[in-house]
Formats: sequence, C-alpha cells, structure tokens
Amino acid sequence: MTKDADAPTDSSPDAGLPSDEWTSPPPAPETLPPRSLRLPMRTDSSATMARMLEEAGKQASPEIRESERPPAVSERVTSIPPPISSRGGVHPDIPSYTLFLWRIAKTAFESTWRYYLWMTMLTILALIGVNAWAGQTGGGMIHTNMTDHVSWGLYIANFTFGVGLAAGAVMMVIPAYVYDDHDMHDVVIFGELLAIAAIVISLLFVIVDMGRPDRLWHLLPGIGRFNWPRSMLTWDVIVLNGYLLLNLHIAGYLLYMRFLGRRPARRWYVPFVFISIGWAISVHAVTAFLYAGLGGRPFWNTALLAPRFIVTAFVSGPAFVIVLLQVVRMFSAYQIGDGPIHTLRQILRVTIPANLFMFGSEVFTAFYSGGAHAASMRYLLMGLHGKTTLVPWMWGALALNFASLLIVYLPVSRKNLRLLTAGCSMAFGGIWVEKGMGLIVPGFVPSTLHEVIEYQPSLTEWKVSIGIWAAGLLVLTVAVKVALRVLTGRVTIDTYAHSLPPRALPGGTGL
Amino acid sequence: MSVRHRAILLAICLTACGAKDEARQLAPILGSAPGEVEINVPAKLSSIEVDAVDPLGRPLRIACATCHTTKETAVLPESPSELQAFHVGLQFQHGSNRCASCHVSEPLRAPKLRLADGTELPMTEALQLCAQCHGPQYRDYKAGAHGGMQGFWDLRRGGRTRNHCVDCHDPHVPKPPQVLPAAAMRDRIPVAAPARGEEGHE
Amino acid sequence: MTPTKRRTLKVLGATLGASAFAYAVEPLRAFTQNITLDQFLQGHFKELTPEQLEVTLARLEQETKDRHGRDVTIRADPAIEGVEFGYGLNLSICVGCRKCAEACHVENNHDRASNNSYIRVLEMTQGSFNLEHGNASYDHAVPAPDKYYLPVQCQQCDNPPCTKVCPVEATWKEPDGIVVVDYDWCIGCRYCEAACPYHARRFNWTTPEIAPEEINPDQGYLSNRIRPQGVMEKCTFCLHRTRRGELPACLEACPTGARVFGNLLDPESEIRWVLANKRVFVLKEELGTRPRFFYFFDK
Repeated sequence: MTKDADAPTDSSPDAGLPSDEWTSPPPAPETLPPRSLRLPMRTDSSATMARMLEEAGKQASPEIRESERPPAVSERVTSIPPPISSRGGVHPDIPSYTLFLWRIAKTAFESTWRYYLWMTMLTILALIGVNAWAGQTGGGMIHTNMTDHVSWGLYIANFTFGVGLAAGAVMMVIPAYVYDDHDMHDVVIFGELLAIAAIVISLLFVIVDMGRPDRLWHLLPGIGRFNWPRSMLTWDVIVLNGYLLLNLHIAGYLLYMRFLGRRPARRWYVPFVFISIGWAISVHAVTAFLYAGLGGRPFWNTALLAPRFIVTAFVSGPAFVIVLLQVVRMFSAYQIGDGPIHTLRQILRVTIPANLFMFGSEVFTAFYSGGAHAASMRYLLMGLHGKTTLVPWMWGALALNFASLLIVYLPVSRKNLRLLTAGCSMAFGGIWVEKGMGLIVPGFVPSTLHEVIEYQPSLTEWKVSIGIWAAGLLVLTVAVKVALRVLTGRVTIDTYAHSLPPRALPGGTGL
Repeated sequence: MSVRHRAILLAICLTACGAKDEARQLAPILGSAPGEVEINVPAKLSSIEVDAVDPLGRPLRIACATCHTTKETAVLPESPSELQAFHVGLQFQHGSNRCASCHVSEPLRAPKLRLADGTELPMTEALQLCAQCHGPQYRDYKAGAHGGMQGFWDLRRGGRTRNHCVDCHDPHVPKPPQVLPAAAMRDRIPVAAPARGEEGHE
Repeated sequence: MTPTKRRTLKVLGATLGASAFAYAVEPLRAFTQNITLDQFLQGHFKELTPEQLEVTLARLEQETKDRHGRDVTIRADPAIEGVEFGYGLNLSICVGCRKCAEACHVENNHDRASNNSYIRVLEMTQGSFNLEHGNASYDHAVPAPDKYYLPVQCQQCDNPPCTKVCPVEATWKEPDGIVVVDYDWCIGCRYCEAACPYHARRFNWTTPEIAPEEINPDQGYLSNRIRPQGVMEKCTFCLHRTRRGELPACLEACPTGARVFGNLLDPESEIRWVLANKRVFVLKEELGTRPRFFYFFDK
C-alpha cells in the first residue's frame, strides 16, 4: 500500500495520529493529476475548463495516449481538488446548513442524460414496486405466496441480505482507521453511503413484510409498546436505526465540513467511526440472533449463525464496494487509487473461504449425526420427499461462491479489474441466494410439524422486491453523486457548479 | 348467556344451516343445573327402531316392553344367528359372551339385564353392566377421561351432560365403526402468482 | 439545451412522476378508507380503561354488523382467580374424525374458503412418534388400522417462545394460562409464527369471509371475534366459553371423549385426575416450552 504523498511531516500537529485526506492540505488546481479525457469536465466556466484541459493535456499526454486505463497505483496521487473557498472556512450555522441541503438537493436533479435515464429507469421500477405493495396492503398478504407453513419469504430474505450489505460496507472503516490504511481513507465515505442505502433497503423490506404497516406506530417506545429487551426484533429496530443515524452523521458531517471549506474536527467523527465498527458487527449479530434464538427451528438454532452472518456480510459488502469504486472512477473525476480495491480483494480472499468453511461445518454437523434435524439441510441440498425447488438454487450459489473464490485467488485478478468485477458479482449473487432464500425458506421446510410445503415468491413479491432494490439504488446514486460533487469541490458554500455539459468542448461532447 | 338461551340459539342456527354443521347437532340438553352431571339415556335402551314411519314421517320406535309384556317371548338363543322371528339380523361381536351373559328374557316380563352374579338391572342401567367387566374404562369415564360430554367444566356454574356408553358403543358390536373424517384444512399451496385483485387460493 | 427547456422538461418530469406515484398507491386508498381514526388510535388491550373497553367493544360490534352483516356480542371476560386451564388428550381413544377441528372452525369464525382451524390432526404410525411420518391431509375412513391420531393445537406454554419475540407485546400469557393475541394491536410481522414450535399460530392472509348466518355471535375480544386482515390468531381454549365455565367447542364435539379439560388448580378436576393417574407427556419437551397440553395413552 502506498503512503499518501501529502502525508503530514513529523512537525505537524497531527503527528502520530492516523492521517487522512481531510488533514493534509489539498493541492492547487494547477497540479491536477492526469485523468482520462474521455469524460467531459464539469466546471462553471468554459474558460477555466479550457485552461485546465490545457494543463492536463500537457501533463497527461504521454500516458493517456498509450492506454485508456488509469495508471498504476504507484503513479497515482490520491488527493482531491481543494475546496474553492475564498474565506478560511465558513462557520457552520443554520443558514449555511440550509444552503448545504438545498445545494445537494439541486445536485440530485441536475446531470447528464445518462443520469436521468438511469434515475428514470430506477424510478419506474420503484413505482411498480410501490403499486404492487399497495395492492398487497389493500388486498392482504394473500397476494404473496407465503403460507402458514412458510410464513417468511422473499422479503425477509432480502432484508437479511440487505443488513449484511450494510454491515459489510463499513468494512472499509477497519483498515482505514484501525490499521491506518491511508489509501482507504479516500473511499471510506462510499462505504458509509452504501451502508445508508442498504439500511434503507432493509427497513423497506421489513415494512413491506408487515401485515399491518398502518400500525407501525405500535413500535414506538413510549407511544406504543416496545418489547425490549425480550424481543430480538426490538433490538434490531434499535441497532438498524442507530446505524443509519450513525452513518448519516459521519458522512453528512464530513461532507458538510467539506462544503464549508473547513477542516473537520476529529471529535465529531472519529469516535463515531469507531462506534460504527462495533455497531456494524452488532447490527448483523442481532439480525442473526433473530433466527438463532428460535428453538423450534433447528436449521437456524445454531451458534454458528451469527459468525456466518458477519462473514457473509464481509463478502457482500466489499464485493459491492469494489464494483462501486470502479463505477465512481468511470463517471467522476474523483481519484480512487487501486489500493482500496486491492485491500478489499484481500479481505475477500479471507471471508469467502471462511464462509464456505462454516457452511461445510454446518453440512457435516447435520448429515453426520443425521436424524430429523438434518431435514432442512437435506431439503436445501437434495430435496425432501420429492420436493426440490431450492436444490438448483443452492448448488448454483455454491458454484458461484467457489468460482468467486477461485477468481480472487488468481493473481491476475489483481490487475484485471474486469475479472475481479466478475468475481465480485458472483460472490454477491452467491451470498444473496445462500443467505437470503437459502437461509429463510429451509428454516420453514419442513414445518414444525414436519410437513413439507414449498414456497416460491409470487409476482407481487418480485415486483416489490425489485422496486425496493431500485429505490435503494436511487438513494445510493443520489448519495454518491452528491458526495462526489462536494468532495471534488464543485458544490461549496461559495460556488455551485452546474453539471450541464459545456457547449463547446474540444474533442466533442460525446461520452 | 345461559345454557338454555344458547341452546335455543343453536337450534335456530341448526335449522338455518341444515345438516352442514355436524358439530352443532351435538347441542347440549336443556335442564342441566349447576353441579348436575346428567348421563344421557339413549332411546335404544328402552325402545327399538323399526322400519315403519309415523304419520309425521319420523322413524317409529317401539318400546321393548310393548312386545315383551304382551307376547310369549322365546328362550334366549345361544347366538343371535339363531333368531328366527324377531331381532333377526342382529350382528354380534363381543368376545365370548352369549346372549344370556347380559340379558334376562322371561315371558311376559319387561326385558332386564343381569350382572355376572345374577343381579338384575333395568335396561336403562346398562352402564353398570359395562362397568362390571370394563373397569379401567369405567374408572376413566367416571373421572371424565373417557366418553363425550357437553356443558360446563366448572360444575359450580352449570351442569354437564355425559354420553352413555352405548351412545358410541353398540353393546353387541362395541367396536365403534369407522367414520369418514371431516374435511382437512385446505392448506394454501399457491400454484400461480395471483394477478392484482384476485385471490391467491389454489 | 437551454436552461429554460431543461427546466420545462424537469417540471414535466416531476409532474409525470407525481401522477405516476398517485396512480401507483391507488390501491392503498381503499385500505385506508376502511380504517377509522378510532381504529387507528386504539390502544393496547391491557391499557384500556373499563370505559374505553366498553366503547371499543361497542364499536367493534357495530363494525362486525356493518362488515359481516350479523349482530354479535363481544365480551371481554377477565381471567378467573384460582383457575389455570389445562387440557388432556387421550391418544388411545382419538379416532381422527376431525370433528374437533370442524367445531373449532365453526366456533371461532374462521375463514370459510380455507376451512381454517386451530387444530391440526396428524395421522401417525403405531409404534413411532416420528412427526416426519405424520400426515395431516388423510382422507379415508378412520381409524385406519395401525394408525393413531395426534391432534395438535396451541399448547398454551408456560414458557412461550411466541410471547418472547413479539416486538409490540401484542401477544401475552393471561393469568389463567391462555396465551392471547390482541388483534387490534398486532402488526403482522409473523415473528411469533416463526417462533412457535407447534405450528399453532395462524395468520390472516386475507379478511375472513363468513356467511352471516354461519357467524357465531357469541364472541370474545381476545378469542373468536372476526379478525381483521393482516394479524395473527391462535387457539384460545375458547376463552369466551371457558371463562364462563363452559367446555371448549373442540371437547364438546369430540364423540369419543378423548379430550379432557379443567382447572389445574382444582384437585378434584378431571385434568388433575388424568395428570395423577395417566402417564402423560408433552410434545417437544426438550425445548423447555412447558406446554399445558398433556397427551396420554390408555395402555
């Protein structure tokens, strides 16, 4: 891992403390690092832009003409443009915060045609989901395919997976803040934004699974009746919402400080970051305890469930973030080194086999001793009494997991990011099946009276689920876009850079 | 709502829904007072059903005494297959018992039952006769662990009506016949995704 | 594209989006119209004052009349002091006729289309207690040779896993031992259904539909009133009857007398006699749920 080129010297007041991009002085605009010229630049004046292009072209021409890929890690400077602030940082107050909110809200609605297309597509999917959910709420859960035998299905499967994604997204915080990985500091915020979107997804899945969403207020402590600490669901409500607030605070605070051109005060985010590490683990442990505490469901009633959840969270989170970082690279000027991606790949090299080992342990325990408690595992892997709906899914998930394991261990996946992305997608998909439908449904098959009634989601459930994922991606897109705009200095207290493509751009406007 | 009112309501509901709700036909018998445990005395202990119907169309029952006190009845046979004139076709499967094990049938006398030691019982006291051999079942029955009942569990607040042995066990073929069970629950096993607005039943 | 054009397009897009959203949530309107403000704000059963309870019961009776077309009486009898219910079931005598399940269906105003019942009768093979070989959908004359029958319903556990997991305390164990559900407080998360080891709980996947003349008008708030859609329900030992001293409907329907019910605290009761004189056992004892439903064989 490369050290930050702008790391403070020993004489600075931050000596000895973990350094990050917020404390190092940002470089001047003239020393912008080379970037791919395939993308049009986004500034508020074509004159400035032309000048910057000229500068960039002077510095970048040899490398960029040779290859279109970003240069190697050692050549990259992982720094960001300075905040364009004439003052020494504006004092935070209500008017400036309001301006901050207003400007980032405007940012969410202004961009290229690609952005609009993406957001419109997602909105359409989300609206289809809303409609399906409205039909389900009005007409009853009979529009789903859940029954008294399999009473939790696609919604809770996605909820479980979504919580894992949220917990795992903050996985980047550990290398950055506990192990002083400086490269990782630049990208920690994306993990936090992903966590926010994933928590929103999880909360939405819980709400659509409720038979009476109009009675949500019954959960509010004080007004309703909150069965804490006996019910694990109440713990889940607390930790999920707390985690959401935590991440909103950290990301929001850092962005707001950047917006104001101020240096963020460590006491307002570093403790919260460390809390969020522990909180992320507990979020997913609590979710696991929801299932593991039920003595009547032997498939879930295992001590290994919480460790499995954490480990699979640390597969799905980093896998998604690797892809997210590449997307950010593709659509933004924000510099992301290869360091974070390599670190995340290293993490996958540990967590993917760890998960497979734990699953193997479960399989052994079930089948070696045999008996009725193995019935759910038998249903999952081999079918039970001729009912085999989940069998191809589960073996497919195992294949995906093994394939992704192979890919992350191939040395070539370090450089070949396309291969790595493919591996990440496989890991993501494999975990989704294994932890989602492959965990929830077998808990109900066979039922507590040992009856085998199968379950496949209905059209309504698919529509609602896809709608919620679309809504989550909407949240993520807006959050990442806003963050990038603020981080690259295009949206500050002083300036608001429109994201309209310039009318005249040497080389054309095509993307 | 008292037992009386409930029974009337049930009767009204019965006529409304016909024979569909078989459970409702076991309506509690009026008149159970608190503390009273009434044992049902089935009609078959004192009368016999014949093929004819009365002017209102109901099956005709003739009291045992009607024939037995006015006619010269035959001696009890060794087995019911020997019956030639009356009670022909009576099935019998009750171990190694014979007719005279339980019945006393003398000419021009109402029929009686007899215990093993010769003590005579009126036909309506058949329960005692069952009890003399089937001790464990009788013990369970007295304790409330055998034999159907309706009414109150709390006898301080209401009475109870108990089934008689012969309500379920035909004394001549005591093993209760097989019955067809009531319909099972229709488990929701969705086969296709329901369209919006449609029910998801299979 | 000029800024004005862009702005116009944005406004158009926003309008289109808003109207699409309104169209999307249209099915919710019917649902929300069906909920009155009183219904929405109704508090937890345990927190209602006697006056509030009376008003609530009257409102519920009126709603039942409006929605299902039948005059009903809904009571909220409290638990009787000195009474704790227990239930016994004689597996030697049960013939599997399912009359208990049918009586439950009628007594508790279950949805007719699904023939729902709180009782599930399993046909088991003689000599084995392996529930995996049980069959709940048998359809032949009973009792079949070499089979015995195991009716299962809510065990009213002393250590219920279901009440532990409810996030809003919509289900709890009453002093007389019955585990009840407040249908107007339940949020329908179905966690209790996942937690129950006996498949005792049912969810209202739809609003129950019963013909008016088939409705049992003798109803209890916590037991057999017609439940709304989206809430859990379960066997309540017919508490609207048993708290008045009457036998539960399933027991009255059982022709063989396999069912025994009574007050566990009364040493003279039938259930106490069974516990003292028969070899009783409970289902899934190893889970530590401590059921109040005792099974026994005669031999």
